[in-house]
Amino acid sequence: MSAPEVFQLSLGPLTGVAFGPDRTQLAVSPNNNAAQIYSRGAQEWDLQTTLTEHDKLITAISWAPNTNRIVTCSQDRNAYVWTQLPTGEWKPALVLLRINRAATCVKWSPNEDKFAVGSGARAIAVCSFDEENNWWVSKHIKKPLRSTVLSIDWHPNNVLLAAGTTDAKAFVFSAFIKGIDAKPEPTVWGDRLPFNTICGEFKAPNGGWVHDVAFTPSGNILGFVSHDSAVNLVYPAGPGLPPQALITVRTPTLPYLSLSFTSEESLIAAGHDCQPTVFAVGQNGWEFSHSLDDPASSGSRGLTPTATGTRSVSGPGRLNNEAFNLFRQADTRGQTKPALAATSGAAAGMTPVGADGLLLTVHQNSITDVEPYEWSQTGEVAKVYTVGKDGRLVIWNVTGKPAGGLPGRMAGLQV
Amino acid sequence: MSNTLRPYLNAVRATLTAALTLENFSSQVVERHNKPEVEAKTTPEVLLNPLIVSRNESERVLIEPSINSIRISISIKQADEIEKILCHKFTRFMMMRAEGFVILRRTPLPGYDISFLITNFHSETMLKHKLVDFIIQFMEDVDKEISEMKLSLNARARIVAESYLATFT
Amino acid sequence: MSNEYAFRKIDIDALDEDALLPSDLVDPDPRGPDGALSDARARSTETRNLVSKGDIAGALTTILTDPPYGDGVDEAKNLTTSAVLLILNSTRANDIPNVIKGLDQEQQAHLMAYLYKNMSALGSGADIPGSVLLTWHEKLTEAAGVGCIVRVMTDRRTL
Repeated sequence: MSAPEVFQLSLGPLTGVAFGPDRTQLAVSPNNNAAQIYSRGAQEWDLQTTLTEHDKLITAISWAPNTNRIVTCSQDRNAYVWTQLPTGEWKPALVLLRINRAATCVKWSPNEDKFAVGSGARAIAVCSFDEENNWWVSKHIKKPLRSTVLSIDWHPNNVLLAAGTTDAKAFVFSAFIKGIDAKPEPTVWGDRLPFNTICGEFKAPNGGWVHDVAFTPSGNILGFVSHDSAVNLVYPAGPGLPPQALITVRTPTLPYLSLSFTSEESLIAAGHDCQPTVFAVGQNGWEFSHSLDDPASSGSRGLTPTATGTRSVSGPGRLNNEAFNLFRQADTRGQTKPALAATSGAAAGMTPVGADGLLLTVHQNSITDVEPYEWSQTGEVAKVYTVGKDGRLVIWNVTGKPAGGLPGRMAGLQV
Repeated sequence: MSNTLRPYLNAVRATLTAALTLENFSSQVVERHNKPEVEAKTTPEVLLNPLIVSRNESERVLIEPSINSIRISISIKQADEIEKILCHKFTRFMMMRAEGFVILRRTPLPGYDISFLITNFHSETMLKHKLVDFIIQFMEDVDKEISEMKLSLNARARIVAESYLATFT
Repeated sequence: MSNEYAFRKIDIDALDEDALLPSDLVDPDPRGPDGALSDARARSTETRNLVSKGDIAGALTTILTDPPYGDGVDEAKNLTTSAVLLILNSTRANDIPNVIKGLDQEQQAHLMAYLYKNMSALGSGADIPGSVLLTWHEKLTEAAGVGCIVRVMTDRRTL
């Protein structure tokens, strides 16, 4: 497996990351009210512009690949749609969200004619463009939601929407907007789908906030990760029926914050244990397959990149001596003495710590998002990217060890 | 390290690691605010079950997790009156300078001697396992510190008593 | 202050119909208080029998299957807790890892919850030494990981 590409974009968390259409551009918020657009240079990412319109932390960014529009949402209760002028500048347009709490997540629909914004106001705003008035208007999904919406995902048919909330539930709704959507084909989730139809409500067995929801590429299975360190998969049985199966894979690690399907039979989840892990359908159904960043097999170390765009702050030369470095180590890494006489029987599921006080994984803090980066010709995800609270963006190769259980691995052996 | 201290600290370490899974969460009750939910206690669904790790009646740690903050309260061993006084003085000294300790709370929870409040902002800027190490280190050192203080206090009292009584010989 | 300002003290959030209450977060025990109690009685008797025969693993599996949870089942909870304590006390330290291996993930989470519950009761006259609980906690964390502790925190079905 080739080594992952690592970029240090910021020193703090990255709170929303979206790649441009051809993956040469990147929109990211460095844990504040500005969104930065980078373009890919030879070695690293160069800052192009900064989008400043929000006045509180930007929580999510979504970039529509075909129409080249960016939508940002923030804890200041607003969302903006940014369109690029021929001059290259980005022009904001305010969205009438009509929510009175923070917006937490945003995503363009697959057809890019509408987007959904989850919020702390116990509502999801489904926004579409109003030609007459030349602005974005929203319709609210309110009814069954009784808590903050933490995550949303669109079904590939552009109508169904999944959401995960802090009261340990995952929902599937219809977000059908008259005049935009054609009548959708019946799916396993339902056939009659007026706006705000509840197609499913699922609960994590051990409770815990639902951090992320995702549909498989076909849209026939819903996956969600909850704070009880579990990955849950829902197989719907049909409209109005209880689900055929709700599979829960409990793990010994810390909870996951994000998941992303790489095919119908494999997914990548990442979160507080700082390493992306692959779950796949094996002989006994869904199970833990392997970690993309196994600290045991090392090799991932030595990837301590310098911060892009912040290199000028490395301090005046005269301070860059041994003593200075010693104190800086002590300050930034707490490296004053060898790590505490560690726990003889280290608990399972804890991320191992190296002798220098850093984690043995590439990410040094929780991974907040994992998304597909590149697809292979057969339509499976070949590369994914992860971003973390440590300010790192990492691009991982997932095809090196083909998912899909034993046959896939055997095929790999013959090469 | 005595043989029950190690499992005790290991249990605290594991529980703390499990609880330190925080994220940025904007208040659901007050518009445009971001409060440590474990202190605000206004939104029941973002609070998790508090857990207590204890070694005996007098030594225990209460860990209260929530979505964006955790509160750790430590009850320190106090065998006699002198240890009680020393412990009180020692924790008070630190809590009056709480801003220097970043995660220290200015008052302990009732029934405990010292409390820490760790929010998602702390876990974003500091290495998470180092925060855990710090708390464990603190728990280890505070016992040592207090018994050392007690020894030197006794030694001093003996010297004072000897030199005072020497005048009567 | 005059009564004129008393309205300021009204908790208006409590009047919100959509507000989520702690009781909405969890479904009550489907067996009901009486069902849970009779179930707990049967299980704790069986557990005691198994312990006296020396079958610790069997006893632990029995008591950790469908334990009573929620409000209003205090008696059932007490019965189950004391049965768990009996098992914890009568297991030799060397046997613990094997016993834990025999449990499924749900049961491991329940066991962890009972360990924390008893640790919080240490001050108030529980008849178990803290070192026993800590040994169990250590072995259980080694086997089931921190994920098990997270599940105790998130699970609203308090044992």
